[in-house]
Amino acid sequence: MSAALATMGLAPGVLLLLLGWGTLVGLDLVSWPQLLLARPLVAGTVAGLLLGDVEAGLRVGLLLELFALDVLAVGAVRYPDYGPATVGAVVLAAFAPWETGLGLATALALPVAAVGGWTMQWVRHANARALQRATDALAAGDPRAVRRLQAGGLARDALRALGLTALALVLAIAARTWVQPDPATGRLLTLAAVGAALAAVANGALRIAGRGPRLGWLAAGLGLGLVLAAVLAGVLAGGLA
Amino acid sequence: MTGAAQDHRAGLPAARGDGPPPERWSGSGRALLRLLAVQGAWSYERMQGVGAGWAAAPLLRPLAQQDAERYRAAVARSAEFFNANPNLAGLAVGAEVRAEFDGLPPEQIRRLRTALCSPLGALGDQVFWAGLVPALVALAVAGVALGGGAWPVAALVAVYALVRLWTARWALRTGLASGMSVGRVVTASWLPRAVPRVGPLAAFALGLAAPLAAAWLLPVVAPGHVAGVLVVAALGVGLGQWLGTRVTAVRFGLGALGIALLLRWVTA
Repeated sequence: MSAALATMGLAPGVLLLLLGWGTLVGLDLVSWPQLLLARPLVAGTVAGLLLGDVEAGLRVGLLLELFALDVLAVGAVRYPDYGPATVGAVVLAAFAPWETGLGLATALALPVAAVGGWTMQWVRHANARALQRATDALAAGDPRAVRRLQAGGLARDALRALGLTALALVLAIAARTWVQPDPATGRLLTLAAVGAALAAVANGALRIAGRGPRLGWLAAGLGLGLVLAAVLAGVLAGGLA
Repeated sequence: MTGAAQDHRAGLPAARGDGPPPERWSGSGRALLRLLAVQGAWSYERMQGVGAGWAAAPLLRPLAQQDAERYRAAVARSAEFFNANPNLAGLAVGAEVRAEFDGLPPEQIRRLRTALCSPLGALGDQVFWAGLVPALVALAVAGVALGGGAWPVAALVAVYALVRLWTARWALRTGLASGMSVGRVVTASWLPRAVPRVGPLAAFALGLAAPLAAAWLLPVVAPGHVAGVLVVAALGVGLGQWLGTRVTAVRFGLGALGIALLLRWVTA
């Protein structure tokens, strides 16, 4: 595994930065400061910058962002924590041909994101237990009890995000060391991941559009997007030819 | 507002009621920063209650010098059950603090807090979670796919940070200025008018982003591969519409990857 780290140029300092970034990203999802740092596109781009492979960060971040756009984070629902998972996925996909690496990175990110959703439940239950212990102090209007509960909640979520990022990084480094699919398999996984991501964003868009006049706006955006995509595909094909 | 008295430093109306009004809303800066962590101690029992209490604490502090018992009662109320969209929580925190300084009966303050949960949740979710956030994110996705590199991502974070901070400041100041009439003030504000604007924008941006993202992620592939991707996407949309949230993006994604591996294993 240390050889894999060396070939990736993953110095311990970079690993620590990634761990710190993943923790901040995980904290941003619900607790603080909720500035969209937890969005895969943001988490992935910064992880790519830290690693020195922005392209990988953008590709992985954008692909996972399509999955995340399926989620409406309303109320007390449980939803995947894509941020730390994206950081791990970028480590897995960095400095490798992305056409064959995106699928494997997605295969790593999706389960880690789901685990992230479960760990959020753990934090919420732990917060409730701390609350029960402080019921009398809260009823008496002790401001120190409020402060302690808030600090405890933030600390638990930071710990959760740190653990989730560590899990994602360990899995990514292990996968780089031991999982090396042949190019055809890698490409097939990437195609499957892109298809599933498109389904996710389409379901998210249909949910937001509903059955009213917003469907017309969705169709208008889709029409313009298809025209621009055709131009973009032509440009890209011409560039590669 | 009695006599239209205005606080000359914070631009806020002086509080009225039986308690002496504070010279100004001291601690509003700290309260604003704390509102960014209003969900920091989220639990199923009180939801954002503890976070709201923590945000209100600097504003309630002057009460301690006037009447320690009243202060502690206000602190206890401020950390009771509360839930709303976190971007708009400042409206309730500010209104409740104002009501405490106005010396309103405890039950009335509790009713205000409870009554604000649903509208601030529904309005905020429509404006932010189902409107502005997907719209901005989708526009950033389109910008990256069109060759903008990391700049659209930087713009996304910068624009949303400005919106989030501006909204939090507006919410807290409006709540502090309005007190018990916060509901009426919110109804007449920009918030309800934003809903019919950001929803269509989100739908348009998502429609725009999806094909651009696909073109960027699949630059040159064989027509058969494109057909395969479209079949997977159509299957996912069909299952999503048929089975609803039982088919999550994670479950379908892992299923698609598993089937791809199986196909490769069978045909190898």
